Amino acid sequence: MATQIGSQVEKGKGKTLNSQKTDKWLSRKATRLASILAASLAGLLLPVMPAVHAAETITVWHYFSGNPSQEKVMTDYKSIFEKANPGVTVENVYVPYDQMNSKLLAAASTKTGPDVVVFNGAETSLLADGGILAPMDTYWSAFADTAQFPASVIHKANGKVYSAQGYVNLLGLWYNADILAKIKMPIPTSLASMERAMAAAKKAGYKGITLCGLPQGQGEWQAMPIISSTGFNYGTLDEKSLTAGLAIAKNWVDKGYLSKEATTWDQTVPFQKFLVGDTLFAENGNWQAGAATGAKFKYGVAALPIGTKGKIYLGGEGEGIGAFSKNKDLAWSYLKSTYFSKTGQLVVVPVGSIPSRLDSAKDTMVTSNKLLKPFATEIAKNGANYPPSEIPATKINDAQTAGGVAWSSVIGATAKPANAAQQYIAAIKALKG
Amino acid sequence: MADLKTKLSIQAVWSTQRKGNYLLYAVPAVILLTLLSAFPLIQLARMSISEVGIRNITGSWKNVGLSNFKFIIADPNFRQILVNTLVFVGIVTFFGLLLGFFAATAFNDNKKSSDFLLAFMVFIWALPPIVNGSVWKFLLGGDGFINVMFQKAHLISEPIPFLYDPKFALYSVAIVNCWAVIPFNALILKAAFKSVSKDILEASEIDGVTKFQQIRYVYFPSSRPTLLVLAILTLVYGFRSFDFIYVMTYGGPGLATNTLPFLGYIKAFVQFKFSQGAAIALLSAIFTSGLAFLYSRNVMKEEEND
Repeated sequence: MATQIGSQVEKGKGKTLNSQKTDKWLSRKATRLASILAASLAGLLLPVMPAVHAAETITVWHYFSGNPSQEKVMTDYKSIFEKANPGVTVENVYVPYDQMNSKLLAAASTKTGPDVVVFNGAETSLLADGGILAPMDTYWSAFADTAQFPASVIHKANGKVYSAQGYVNLLGLWYNADILAKIKMPIPTSLASMERAMAAAKKAGYKGITLCGLPQGQGEWQAMPIISSTGFNYGTLDEKSLTAGLAIAKNWVDKGYLSKEATTWDQTVPFQKFLVGDTLFAENGNWQAGAATGAKFKYGVAALPIGTKGKIYLGGEGEGIGAFSKNKDLAWSYLKSTYFSKTGQLVVVPVGSIPSRLDSAKDTMVTSNKLLKPFATEIAKNGANYPPSEIPATKINDAQTAGGVAWSSVIGATAKPANAAQQYIAAIKALKG
Repeated sequence: MADLKTKLSIQAVWSTQRKGNYLLYAVPAVILLTLLSAFPLIQLARMSISEVGIRNITGSWKNVGLSNFKFIIADPNFRQILVNTLVFVGIVTFFGLLLGFFAATAFNDNKKSSDFLLAFMVFIWALPPIVNGSVWKFLLGGDGFINVMFQKAHLISEPIPFLYDPKFALYSVAIVNCWAVIPFNALILKAAFKSVSKDILEASEIDGVTKFQQIRYVYFPSSRPTLLVLAILTLVYGFRSFDFIYVMTYGGPGLATNTLPFLGYIKAFVQFKFSQGAAIALLSAIFTSGLAFLYSRNVMKEEEND
């Protein structure tokens, strides 16, 4: 280093001060010029050079917002995969629930789209039909753990596997234990005891129940346990049973247990209302377990008291690979090490979701979780596959809308249960052909 | 004489060439307009007479004639949805114009406070409907600001079910929609008022007219052409309104706030029956154009008679 400085001094010997300054200025200018030129060239060349990092980025489209626990799962999966695959970036992209399908379709029409899609598993056939999802057969058949997945969480269309669920979601009866204690009522085990508790709560100045009454899929999802408790199902389409089921909701509204405002609530809002602490029950899902930890009262979950006839849809998000993913192998690798792996599935337990793998479901983390126990009971006793097999898979959205409208009409008192039932059944019959 | 003829013919050719050149300049704009307006309309019309679903949206479309229209009209809920649409459009158009006119007259001075208020209103108008709708949903909720305020003032004992009772829901959403269009109408009408001759205003003041008479006999007749255009614009705005319904009620309770544009959305983007959605959109467009045509023809006739 010293020699170099010495040689520079030697080189400067014999020159005037001004010329030395000029040399330095020129040298600085040349350096700057060279830097700018290099940067420009780099900028020009970058787009034509092979995008090593771009190829190692996978995009995951999901619709989780407003529930920090669910959002955390997405960031946890990102960390897990990026840690295991240095140089790979996982880009989580939030798309509102209502816009997910139309945005996927819009992207597919220009032959683009996400690498991984986390969507409503019941709509697999619809998305497969639209050319939005890529078949996963090759990956699935080579997957060593397929035996761990029950058939109900593997979604097929035209005989091919298009998605699978990493967990199962379902509805239960959340209760405010403090209010139950104050009104001296037990945890309900039948519809009659549930209504007795709501009557007592109302008398004591509390609200009875919160649920979703939107005239769309979420409303239909919440309606099903209640309307099926009287014997209604898509197979027999018995109008009398459906009328009786819808009358239960009407009775709750008439007696002031349930607010008509439920017709403007999606599934998130009623749980936020429940967390305020002045409502006895909430018909809501296991995925609210994370949100519930913020409650300032004692709470618990019981199985929905819907008897032996009642059915609770076993839902949850399906995970699939985008049809226009440029890196399907990496997308599969992501799914395999997160949603479909034993350890990956345990990440969803704090959210309240039940892992779909048999080995994960047996993990002590799941079996020792008191909140998950009632849901596990429900799966065994009242669990029903979703979408229901009686409805053509590609027409499931029509059925959801028809059910949601009937449910909302009764809660909002725009139709009598008998009329709503009649219209609902007519719509389903038309779908079944 | 021959020279003159030659001169004239040269001028004529030159003029024609110039005209031709001018037309050439318009070609890019015509192409752009055709691409942006005519092409989507043609596609919409084609889609409405075809069978288009999620499977073939990017493929070939089978012609099914008018069956989509028949299916929509035969829907048992169509009548209720059409009535909802007409009530909704009626409220938005009538109150949007009336209150816009009042706001324009109220702000029709040179005070800075008026300019500030109008600017503030325009800011509200410029906010995305999703934001406006969410704020109003919160304000009108059972335990929302308005109900809580009324209850605290002991004006009501039970909350008013603005958005979840079939008697109120449609009117509530229509009024919020109307509220959003008032600033725009007020701004346009205020500009129209500015064009009223000062002589007429001075003459009316010398005649000793009251403020109300000035509005009735000077401003109202002077702004009629603007009002006509605004009426059509507001009617179209009301007819295509979808955002506020989507955010505030999602068409419910039941079908209480379901209108044709919302039904079109459900058909096209929830059930993926694109052709039925297109049929509804086309029906709405024809209906709006028809109303606008009838209205403008009547007003023009009146003006001719005057």
